[in-house]
Amino acid sequence: MTHPAFEAQLDAYLDGELAAPDAAELEAHLRACPDCSRLERRRRALSAAVREQVLRFPAPDTLRARVRSAVRADLNRPAHRRSHWPALAVAASLAVVAVGSWQVAVRRATSDALAEQVLGSHVRSLMPGHLTDVVSSDQHTVKPWFNGKLDFSPPVSDFAGRGFPLVGGRLEYVGGRPVAALVYGRRQHLINVFLWPSERGRTGGRPVTTQQGYHLLHWTTPAYSYWAASDLGLPELRDFVALLQRGDSVAAAPAADRAP
Amino acid sequence: MESSELERFEAVVLPHLDAAYTLARYLTRSDHDAQDVVQDASLRALRHFGTFRGAGSGEGRAWLLAIVRNTAYTWQRRHHGDTLTTEFDEERHSEAAADQHPEAALVAQGERVALRRAIDELPPEFREVIVLRELEELSYKEIAEVAGVPVGTVMSRLSRARRRLEEVLCAETEDC
Repeated sequence: MTHPAFEAQLDAYLDGELAAPDAAELEAHLRACPDCSRLERRRRALSAAVREQVLRFPAPDTLRARVRSAVRADLNRPAHRRSHWPALAVAASLAVVAVGSWQVAVRRATSDALAEQVLGSHVRSLMPGHLTDVVSSDQHTVKPWFNGKLDFSPPVSDFAGRGFPLVGGRLEYVGGRPVAALVYGRRQHLINVFLWPSERGRTGGRPVTTQQGYHLLHWTTPAYSYWAASDLGLPELRDFVALLQRGDSVAAAPAADRAP
Repeated sequence: MESSELERFEAVVLPHLDAAYTLARYLTRSDHDAQDVVQDASLRALRHFGTFRGAGSGEGRAWLLAIVRNTAYTWQRRHHGDTLTTEFDEERHSEAAADQHPEAALVAQGERVALRRAIDELPPEFREVIVLRELEELSYKEIAEVAGVPVGTVMSRLSRARRRLEEVLCAETEDC
């Protein structure tokens, strides 16, 4: 055993990092070798001295305050503030991580092109700065915002009273046409609702798709083709869709929903 | 992602601010820089919180310290145009050493000052393993994760760092 190698072994032993057989061998050597046992005593003394005498630096209160406020400020940066959603940054960073593996999955699943586009739009929207073009929890602000940007005026409702506040809206391009995307919140989850005028005789996709942890619900009404995408649990997402369907039927009486 | 993610983040990160600040302070050797590093690191941690899968408090500490460590190195490059240096800064050091010393501890003061100075003078890759092991009591595996090196490297760096400190202590106390 060379000297530096022994020292490293000794340090590992003193740190409780040496496997039992090695430790036993080393202890036997320490008993037999005065030089090495002197080294052991010095090392123990050094560790004790460092632990007792070397300064720990407690975080100053001002630093704690700075960190707290910086974290909150970061969550309220323009890209995030619109949603009033504290965990949006977290969701967004997750989405960035998820998008890589998601792209692989998309290449595999080519059967449902529209669902893929919807999912892609949803994931992309979670990245910082992509969520909304118009930021408002007021349906009377969001709805007119689409005027002149789309060839239809999408029904927009706020469901804050039911725990699904309207966050805002944006334009998307899905299925070869510009469509409306409405963003709703549910705790720290986000829901994207995509809608465009439904085309007679065309079904857009399966009513329920689950990919990469995201649920996509699809349904059509006489007026619109809808997709809702979220990482929210399926039961809650269905509750939300039920609210939307009621909203749509109110807006576009006569009601004749075809639910998923 | 149930309940408030912010609360979870604060529960994971805030308990380790002392450890974060201590590491940053030893790496930057400046109170001011250390505060900036910790704040910056906290924001980085926030942005990457989605990738934090740990549940235990220890995992949170190692995870945060890894971010603090990387932030400190980046910080040094960006703001001082170099990597963390090993030069001894008399002024900074005296500040750190001029803490309150009870009269009775005067005897130990020489040793204490010498030790702190010796740690400050260690190259940063040695300094960090000493701080992480002796002050934070991280396991070799945790230190390896924080420093981004294999466990074997942690072992040899720690050993070399201790040998250097021991030499300093030897010279100071004339007890070797």
